[in-house]
Amino acid sequence: MKTDPTELLSPELLSRLERLELVSRKVFRGRLKGERRSKRKGQSVEFADFRNYVPGDDLRLIDWNLYARLDQLFLKMFLEEEDLHFHAIIDASRSMDFGTPTKYLVAKQLAAALGYIGLCRADRVRVSVLGDEGRRAPVLRGRSGLFPMLEYLSSVQPIHNTSLADGVKDFLLRTTGSGVVVLISDLMDKGGFESALRMLIGRRMDVFVLHVLSPEEIDPPLRGDRRLIDVEDQDATEITINQFVLDRYKKTVQDFLGSIKQFCARRSIVYIPVQTDVPVETVVSKYLRQRGVVR
Amino acid sequence: MIDENLMIAGNLMIDAKLLAISWIATLTPPWIAGLAAIPIGITLLYFLKLRREPVEVPSTYLWATTIEDLHVNSLLQRLRRSLLLFLQLLAVALAALALFRPGIRGKENELDRQIFLLDTSASMQATDGDESGRTRLEVAKKRIAERIDAFSDDDLGMLITFDDRPQTLQSFTGDRRRLLEALERAEQSTRGTEVIGALRAADGLANPRRTSEAGTTDVPVAQAKPADLVIYSDGGFPPVTEFSLGNLEPTYIATGQGSSANLAITAFSAQRNVERPGFVEVFATLTNLSDQSASTTTTLRGDGEFLDAQAVELEPREEKGISFELETDAATQLEMRIDSKDMLAIDNTAYTALTPLRTVNLLIVTEGNRPLETGLGTSKVAGISRTDVVPPSYLATEAYRERAKAGTDDLIIYDRCRPSTMPRTNTFFIGALPPDARANGDEAGSDEAGDDEAVGNEAKGGDSEGIGSGDESTADDSATNVDAATDGDAATDGDTAASQTWRYAGAAEPLAIIDLDRSHPLLQYVELYSLLIVEGRPLVGPVGTTELVGADIGTVMAIAPRDGYQDLVLGFDLITQSDDGGTQANTNWYAERSWPVFLLNVLRHLAGAAEASSASSYPPGTTVRLRVPSQVDEVTIRRGDGGFEKRFPVGNSGLVEFIDTEKPGNYEVRAGDRLIELFSVNLFSPRESDLAVAEELEIGYEPVEGETAVSEGRREYWRWLLLGMLGLLGAEWYLYGRRVS
Repeated sequence: MKTDPTELLSPELLSRLERLELVSRKVFRGRLKGERRSKRKGQSVEFADFRNYVPGDDLRLIDWNLYARLDQLFLKMFLEEEDLHFHAIIDASRSMDFGTPTKYLVAKQLAAALGYIGLCRADRVRVSVLGDEGRRAPVLRGRSGLFPMLEYLSSVQPIHNTSLADGVKDFLLRTTGSGVVVLISDLMDKGGFESALRMLIGRRMDVFVLHVLSPEEIDPPLRGDRRLIDVEDQDATEITINQFVLDRYKKTVQDFLGSIKQFCARRSIVYIPVQTDVPVETVVSKYLRQRGVVR
Repeated sequence: MIDENLMIAGNLMIDAKLLAISWIATLTPPWIAGLAAIPIGITLLYFLKLRREPVEVPSTYLWATTIEDLHVNSLLQRLRRSLLLFLQLLAVALAALALFRPGIRGKENELDRQIFLLDTSASMQATDGDESGRTRLEVAKKRIAERIDAFSDDDLGMLITFDDRPQTLQSFTGDRRRLLEALERAEQSTRGTEVIGALRAADGLANPRRTSEAGTTDVPVAQAKPADLVIYSDGGFPPVTEFSLGNLEPTYIATGQGSSANLAITAFSAQRNVERPGFVEVFATLTNLSDQSASTTTTLRGDGEFLDAQAVELEPREEKGISFELETDAATQLEMRIDSKDMLAIDNTAYTALTPLRTVNLLIVTEGNRPLETGLGTSKVAGISRTDVVPPSYLATEAYRERAKAGTDDLIIYDRCRPSTMPRTNTFFIGALPPDARANGDEAGSDEAGDDEAVGNEAKGGDSEGIGSGDESTADDSATNVDAATDGDAATDGDTAASQTWRYAGAAEPLAIIDLDRSHPLLQYVELYSLLIVEGRPLVGPVGTTELVGADIGTVMAIAPRDGYQDLVLGFDLITQSDDGGTQANTNWYAERSWPVFLLNVLRHLAGAAEASSASSYPPGTTVRLRVPSQVDEVTIRRGDGGFEKRFPVGNSGLVEFIDTEKPGNYEVRAGDRLIELFSVNLFSPRESDLAVAEELEIGYEPVEGETAVSEGRREYWRWLLLGMLGLLGAEWYLYGRRVS
């Protein structure tokens, strides 16, 4: 079922997002000049430093005034403005289609919000889902890319039972260069989340993990004798849920979250748990800002 | 504050004592095993019936991790944590507990042996046993049953009921069923209360007797077995002094509310007016046995029909007599009733009866005695007697012997003569002494009797010259019959002989009457002080002789018992023979009004026509001995209300013993269609009618405090357990329904 593109981002949110900027903790070489000041010295109006001329340098950058005064050739260096490669990848497995609102909807909203921020800053933005559907995700730049992005997001359904590792691997194969990667997932993969994150780090990407969970997963409203069926693999688990089991489950959830957090901290991955009952505006303007994803 | 805490702690300790829960094992081991298998079955069924509701979850990843370690002991976890299963098992556990009938016993320190003394006396009929109007006996039986129910397997019980006599309904047994059956047999009686017999019956095993052989140590003949003595009574009996409790631990369960108002008829009789024989005077005594004044009406009925009524007002504890006067000649059965209702019904009705005068057979042996014949000729006497007059020579005939032996006559009057042996009937000797009792054997008709020609009118012995001169001739006629008394030296005889025979204690001489036993029925309404008696001789009778008339010279009229009969002896003649062979009066009694009255008394009381006044009243439960005419072989005894009728054979001595006197009422004794006797049974016991419950008993100078039996009963909890079980089942189903929905 297609989502209405306007549902993902409200006009108020869009106006608020326009004032934000994606932050990368690493310096990446952009292909096009962007609106971002790079640590690399380059062609811009903003002076950065001087250095001695070495043969081969662009003569246009020699500061002739200094040469007149000091009789030495110095090259005038400017901060180069460059674009940022921003990737938002969404876990579109069936497990994401859970909760009210669904984790998948929240994930799409987050991805759209971050993507729009990138588009506003002339970054190179690609918002895609894991799996085959990710291949047709457009690479966008500039504000005009908003609607194609939303169009793409609304067209993709959470029916792709791709494992996290396979999905990331596929993503990396299709993506060249580094950049900022935001993985939006519930990380509930029976194969584990670790290998997927390791692959992203291995590409020297600036990795952010938005861990989306619904309140029903953290504190399930289940009691009694139940037969739990995994929506992804139809695996059934018979269980008698009482307070004891429930307490154990909650502990397991906390352990799970703790293990992810620890894993990410060790590898400089920014880990941000997101509950679906928290509005996207709050997540973007508060949580993501606090954790340095945007500013 | 500290004291309060201590008190609370003390109360808790007491409560803890009271809360000693006992169990009645109603199941045999196979049943218990089956019961134990039920929880296992339920556990299995629980898993079989388990219906798991499928639920889709985003991932079972975390759930699987959660229950991973639970799988190791998942069964135990399920058992431990399943509320439903827990509730079901709890329900079954409660049901199982209920089967064991848990309850609280009243007392902690009971002995293994318990003797229940149950008062069944009349006062236990009072309907103030509890608020619902049950009788004291019913309440007491219920309490005993509760106590028996509370028996443990080691307990032994014994049940004794008592009214005016004890009855052991069940000796020591541990069989609760037998005890309860015995308790069921305990019936309300209408008798008085006498507890000593029951105490002695209970005493046997607890206080065994001791040997008392000379020279040996005083040892008990058996090992003493102490026992609890639980007395269920209202305490309506006097302190028991001739009993020692010894190893008996007495407990007195006071039964009844105690403050009950009760009006009782404590006396009721009817008497024909001597001067106006057609009139009957009825007397009754009413007693108010409560602490509040009372007013009521009393109704008198005769033969079931209303005769009269009176209103009575009684102050607290007052006793008041009331009387009625009726006009009736016939035999009448009277019934008096208090019209108001109170707690004890049995004393609100009283019975009495007036019997018709009975016709008696009278034999007079005389040579002629006009005063006697005149006295017996009055219409009153003639109406109740059939008289044969025979001369003394008749005594020697076979006809007389047969008659004397058969006891055909109700009374034989010997006037100045005596038989050789005493007849089998009552006798009245005038101016003569009965023969020696030692000679009065079965050989009554033997030769010796023939030798002792029975004409013994030697009363005027040889030393009575002063009176008349004709004595000797008669003395000569019966020369062989020499009375010891004629010699005047009878006092020299051996004491044994003297104590069994009648004799004269002195010579004939003029006398003046100085004493009269008016209380004796024979001298009822008789006035003798104005008598003139020419001469008489003092009498000495055998053992048991009662002096009726005393004169200045000694006893001149006496009566003595003889093998169930009575002999009346008059120490002076009525007439004597004059020298010319005629008769002359020895006394002016025949001219007195008291003479026919005396003769009527003799006929009534000595000849057995005594029923002229009120019929005898007996307390309930007593044995009534009835004397019936000897020619009657069988009598029918019937109660006035028709509730009882039975035939009884008459014994050899003309006695009928009647023991079915439990129920108050008028009883009539009939021989065929002829009414021969009436008697009544009445409670007439102020002690039984007094419904106050004694606060304590005194047994062997030891006070026994009364206990309110409220805390003493067994409190059953199995019903509550079953209710709890049903509640749990309901909760279980509710939870189950909520889970699967």
